[in-house]
Amino acid sequence: MTPAIAVAGLGLRYPGRGGHQALSEVSFEIPSPSIVGLLGRNGAGKTTLLRILTGQGFASTGSVRVFGSPPLERDAVLRRMVLIREDQTYPDLKIEQALAAAALFHPNWDAALAATLLDAYELPVRRSIKKLSRGMRAALGIVLGLAAHAEVTLLDEPVAGLDAVVRDMFYQHLLADYTAHPRCIVLSTHLIDEVADLLERVLVIDHGRLVIDALTDDLRGNAVTVTGRTADVDRFVADRATLSRRALGARTTVVMAGRLDQRDRQLAEHLHLDVDYLTLQQLAMHAVDSAAGATLIPTGAS
Amino acid sequence: MTTTAAPRVPPILTVARYLLLDRVTYLALPWLWAAFAFGLDVVILQLVPDDHSAQRWVGGLLAAFAVVFVLGIQTVARALPFGLALGVSRRTYFLGASALAAGLAGCFGTVVTIGQLVERGTGGWGIRMAYFRAPGVLDGAWWQTWLTASAAFVLVFAYGMWYGLVHRRAGLIGTVVFGAAQGVLLTLLAAVVTWTHNWLRLGHLLATSPIAAILAGLAALLLAGGLVTVRRLQI
Repeated sequence: MTPAIAVAGLGLRYPGRGGHQALSEVSFEIPSPSIVGLLGRNGAGKTTLLRILTGQGFASTGSVRVFGSPPLERDAVLRRMVLIREDQTYPDLKIEQALAAAALFHPNWDAALAATLLDAYELPVRRSIKKLSRGMRAALGIVLGLAAHAEVTLLDEPVAGLDAVVRDMFYQHLLADYTAHPRCIVLSTHLIDEVADLLERVLVIDHGRLVIDALTDDLRGNAVTVTGRTADVDRFVADRATLSRRALGARTTVVMAGRLDQRDRQLAEHLHLDVDYLTLQQLAMHAVDSAAGATLIPTGAS
Repeated sequence: MTTTAAPRVPPILTVARYLLLDRVTYLALPWLWAAFAFGLDVVILQLVPDDHSAQRWVGGLLAAFAVVFVLGIQTVARALPFGLALGVSRRTYFLGASALAAGLAGCFGTVVTIGQLVERGTGGWGIRMAYFRAPGVLDGAWWQTWLTASAAFVLVFAYGMWYGLVHRRAGLIGTVVFGAAQGVLLTLLAAVVTWTHNWLRLGHLLATSPIAAILAGLAALLLAGGLVTVRRLQI
C-alpha cells in the first residue's frame, strides 16, 4: 500500500559558505491512517521538514512523495494536505473569513466540527485575526487544521501558547476526530509527554537528523531508570547498555537500555532497587545522543 | 456530522475567491481613497486662482492606482502564506491573483470610464475639473479610456506583486537592490537612446502607439517577472 508520506535521503543545506545543514539524510515512511509525533528540541528541524513536505520549502537533496507523488507545485497533491504552523502568517481577515477560506480550498471541510471547536475554544468569529492573543491564534490554527479533514494533516506546535486546560481539550478533540475520520496526522511538538498517549508512531529529530523512527508501543518501556546503592546498581546493570549515570552519595541512578524480564524484576526486588520506565520525553532526550539513539530503537521496529 | 463539500471550481478561481473574502480591501479601499482625493481636489480648486483654461487638471485619481499597487504587495505579503498553508501551489496562487487583478482592473476601468462620461457631461463637475481625465493618457474615446485605465490597473497591481515577492524572497536589501536595478536599467536604456540619437524616433513611437497596448505589454512583462520570482519562493 502506498504510504501517505515517503521521504528518502532528505537534506537541506542553506546556501553560502558555511551554510547551516538544517536536515541531513532524513528517510521515513508514514502510512495512513496514523497519528505520528514529530518530536525534537527547538531548532531541531521539525518545521523545516514540515515545510518541505508541503512544498513550502525546498530540499537540497532527497525526495518527498505524498500518496506516491511529489507535492512540490502539484495542486492535486497539495489539496490533500494542510499545514498550520505555530508562526502562521494570516492575511487581514476575520476568523469567520479565514474559515471560509479553508472551506474554499478543502473539499472535506467540516463546518459542523469547526463550529463545535470555535465554541469550545471561545473564539469570536467576527474578530480580526490580528487582534487575537497568541493562544487564540493557536486555537484558530487547531480549528483550521482539524476541520479541514485533509488526508495529510500537519500541525506544527499546535498547542504553543495554550494553557493546560485548552491543551487537554485539544488532545481530546484530536483523538475524537481521528477516531471518526482516520487519516494521516503529524503532530510536531516538544511537549512530548503530553501527547505520548495519542501517538502511534514517533519520529525524533535532532540537529536535522532523524534519530528515532519507531512505533510508540515498541519504544515505550525500552529503557529504564535504576536507582539504588551503587554496588547493587552496578551488579544489576552489568553487561547491559547504559545511557547515563548519576551518583549522589552512596546511591546511584543509571538509565539502562532494554526491557526487563521476570528475572530482572526479581533481581531488582532482591537488591531493593527502584526501577522506573522512561517516559517518551526522557527517551527522546536520551535519543539525541546518537549512540544512545541506536540502542533505544527496538530491533525490527520501523 | 455535517460535511460541507466545496464546489469543484478551477483552483485559479478559488484563489481569486479567497482573496475576495476581504472585499473591503480589494473592492472598496481604492475608491474610498479616490473619493477622498476627489474631495481634496475640489477644495484645492476652490482655493487656487482660476486660470480660465478649458480644463483644470488634477491628479487625485492616482490615489486609486497607488492603493492598487499596495494591494498587489499585500496579495503576496500576507495572503500568500495562508493560501499555501491551505494547500495551493505557488503557480496557481500567482495565476489566481493575476486573474483577480485582471478582473478588478476591468471593473475599475469601467468606473473610470463612467466617471469620465459623467465628468464630461457635467462640465467637469461644474468647476471644469478633469479628475477622470489625464492629458495624452485618459482623454480619448470611452473605449480608449477603458482599455488604458484597465491596463494601467493591471500594471500597478502586477508591479506591487513583484515588489512584494522580491521582498519576501530577498528582504529589505534585496528590495532596494531590485529598485536600484530598475533605475540602472532605465539609465542604460536612456544612454543607449542618446548615443544612437533615437530620442525623436522613440518619442514618435510612443506618441503614435496605443498607450493601452504599451501598458498591457509592460504589465505582461511584470507578471512574467513575478511568476519567475514566485517559483522559488520559500514560506
